[in-house]
Amino acid sequence: MFVVIVGCSEAGFFLSRALTATGHEVAIIEREPHRYELLTENMGMVAMLGDGADREVLRMAGVERADAVIALTGVDATNLVICQLAKSLAANTRTVTIVKDPKHEPIFEELGIDIVVNWVQLALNALEEGIPGRPLRHLMQVQPTGMEVVCVTVPTWADAVGKHLGDLDLPPDSIVSLIIRHGHASLPARQTVVEAGDEIVAAISIGLEQAFYDIFTGV
Amino acid sequence: MRVLVYGCGQLASGVVRSLISDATEITVLGDERSQLERLSSFPKVSAVLMEEPIMRDYLMEAHIATADAFLALSTDDHENLLVAQIARRMFNIEIVVCHVEEPQLQTVYTNTGLSVVSYSVGVLQDVQFAINSI
Repeated sequence: MFVVIVGCSEAGFFLSRALTATGHEVAIIEREPHRYELLTENMGMVAMLGDGADREVLRMAGVERADAVIALTGVDATNLVICQLAKSLAANTRTVTIVKDPKHEPIFEELGIDIVVNWVQLALNALEEGIPGRPLRHLMQVQPTGMEVVCVTVPTWADAVGKHLGDLDLPPDSIVSLIIRHGHASLPARQTVVEAGDEIVAAISIGLEQAFYDIFTGV
Repeated sequence: MRVLVYGCGQLASGVVRSLISDATEITVLGDERSQLERLSSFPKVSAVLMEEPIMRDYLMEAHIATADAFLALSTDDHENLLVAQIARRMFNIEIVVCHVEEPQLQTVYTNTGLSVVSYSVGVLQDVQFAINSI
């Protein structure tokens, strides 16, 4: 794969090193002369001094034959323009960026950016998975349906304990897909009785997490 | 008619003054307090101060959904292109004008439903004309 990276701060640097190490071809566009010199002299990386938000610079870096362009300038608006300029040069090149402001994620996707990385969401997901006892975990988003797969652990005090699944007042469009009990997975039915410690895996509409969570943990 | 103006520099302020009329309600979004105070002293002009752009949703605060026209006239080309596209694509505002300093951006964004304007194109032509006439 040939990847053009625009902006080589820490994220850009480590990403390009990882890509190079795994056999990919990388070209970096860096605007800052000092960083550019560091890259070429010490790291032996293919870097180019210039403004990546300039169509001509992108073209010279080889965007037209690139498999992907990754905009990592650290400024959301500039990253958007870089990706859109890249698309105007080569419609088939995949564009990738990281947004700082989470509300830009759906906007950038609507505006044609192929992969929008929302680091706040990533950090949140990692936290939720990594901290034991955290009751609702986001397992995955099912794009672009507006659904997500979540997992909740039923606490001993929950009102839902001892009740039939079918009797619980679940939010609309939410489907319990799997119950993990004592390390064994089973398919739930309406008459399945909820036990404390159950891991409830469900597909729910994004935005209804709290309602869903309250059903299985509320008192 | 309700007009939203993004930016409060020289260009934006000049445009706001030229738009003032009884029939036009103008909201200016900017980051310079003194300039915004000056502009909001005009009739039918209100201002929203954007102190920390990523902290709050200033477009929502300025009631972007009910605007008839959106003018992105700040001094930052990339910010202008971002907010102008949000106005056009996310809020379906019919009239969206976006100013860019860099003439090549005008060419690239011509067919995106925005009216992309750039006075630097005019300046370039004027300079060339002046030099050629020496």
